[in-house]
Amino acid sequence: MYRQLRGGERMIIEAKKNKESASSDSGAIVIAAQNLSKKFGEHVTALDGANFEIKAGEFISLVGPSGCGKSTMLRLVAGLIEKTTGEMIVNGEVVSKPRTDVGMMFQKAVLLDWRTALENVLLPIEIRRKITQEDKQQAIDALDLVGLKGFEFHFPKQLSGGMQQRVALARLVLTGAKIMLMDEPFGALDEFTRERLNVELLRIIGELSATTLFVTHNIQEAIFLADRVMVMTPRPGRIAKVIDVGLKKPRDISIQTSHEFNVLVEQVRDVFGEH
Amino acid sequence: MSYATTEQTKKLNLTKTLPFHLLIFALLMLLWEMINRLGIADDLVAPRPTDIVMAMADIFFIDQTVWHHLASTFAKALLGAFIGTLIGMGLAITAVLNETFRKYIKPWIILMEATPRIAVGPIFVALLGFGMSSAVALAALVAFFGPFVNTYQGLMDVDHEEEELFRSLGASKFQTFRKLRLPTAMPLISAGWKLAAASAFSGALVAEFIQASEGMGVLISQYVTMLTMHYAFAALLSVTLFGYILFKIMEYVDYRIIFWRDDQLMYSISEKKRNKMRAPA
Repeated sequence: MYRQLRGGERMIIEAKKNKESASSDSGAIVIAAQNLSKKFGEHVTALDGANFEIKAGEFISLVGPSGCGKSTMLRLVAGLIEKTTGEMIVNGEVVSKPRTDVGMMFQKAVLLDWRTALENVLLPIEIRRKITQEDKQQAIDALDLVGLKGFEFHFPKQLSGGMQQRVALARLVLTGAKIMLMDEPFGALDEFTRERLNVELLRIIGELSATTLFVTHNIQEAIFLADRVMVMTPRPGRIAKVIDVGLKKPRDISIQTSHEFNVLVEQVRDVFGEH
Repeated sequence: MSYATTEQTKKLNLTKTLPFHLLIFALLMLLWEMINRLGIADDLVAPRPTDIVMAMADIFFIDQTVWHHLASTFAKALLGAFIGTLIGMGLAITAVLNETFRKYIKPWIILMEATPRIAVGPIFVALLGFGMSSAVALAALVAFFGPFVNTYQGLMDVDHEEEELFRSLGASKFQTFRKLRLPTAMPLISAGWKLAAASAFSGALVAEFIQASEGMGVLISQYVTMLTMHYAFAALLSVTLFGYILFKIMEYVDYRIIFWRDDQLMYSISEKKRNKMRAPA
């Protein structure tokens, strides 16, 4: 009976089991920034006095023009760079080095050309310990979950840009991280692929009940995906406004033509009008 | 998905152009032969192609002198290339992993680059004698540079996001080196090996020209001294021929190692891995 399930479904069942066991935690604050700032050198203030709290299972979009400190913020959460002042707290701990309970996705898929899709997906586990047969099955399931069943043995160069990002997403799933940081992951893709991947991303993240911080400079994309949108302005990088999206989930692409959606787009635009 | 490959188009181009290449070669040889036969050029300066072919047949199959010398030069060059590559790659890897070492080795490398290394030949021969060791040492000295520069460049030239990915996964320095830097550098490292092989041959030959008891350098100088120029040319062409074969082998190794540059090869490796997974463990 268990065997007959599709790999992707099996993955979701596992995630739901975990969700139930961890249900007491839902609503807990998993990411918090307190007066967080980052300076590069003497004069460049990439991020200035950021304060926010993100609850478990929330999807937050960070939107703003180039140079507003979105990527800096993401790297501070991931522990890839050091803060200048303030505090970044993830899962109740002060961030001081890269954390394995936080997974990242970049604008490029960042796949290793000499590894098959499956081997790329297995990389996070391989770095921690020896691969088991069970891990392999899990990786195959993750590829199924992102819609790449049958492509396990393709090399990155044999896949389209959209498919490469799907592999990167499957790799992120396999890190087991409950916090997902995405730095314009679909920014280099064409509009059609991007829309389709956004819909699927919402489905997958919902099913895994992960907390997500999603960086983009596309206002529509930011609103479509998020529970809350943090709007950032540049020089110095600041969180100018936080907007509650409040649109029902699951969302369909057609929602983007609705009145409520456009009101939200205007709210984001207004922030830049003021600055 | 289509797997029309660059390799296939290359082959197609070759079959198209090969007759022309052969035609040009034949015409040049004919012209050269005519110049000698008509007495425009002296046989002593530019021996006839037909004489060179006869001389090659002689040293390869009748007299068979060339084998012994070829083996000697190849042994020296390959051993030198191997040692030089080992040293070059070792220094490069140390420099990549250790910032202090990187800083202190830099002036020495520049100094070495500025020295015409072939000119060290007579010193090596004086120090190490005219046996195998001086030729190997000179070959290693001239060979080490290519692998050093290429390995260093390749290992340092890692994409920023790829490095961030490895850091975010909690990879150690060694894991990042082994699973990211080294494979990324492979195309350049392999090119460095080819450079090493080519320069090691020059090194070994020069050492033999200076002073040696055997080897192609010795053979060529002997033929020139005896003014048997067609034999000198034949000896030179033998080095070219076997050097070409070695180069082709290295190119094939390069093609197999860095398989992800070739669609056809990727496709067949994919299939193999798929079948292996399907087979009961």
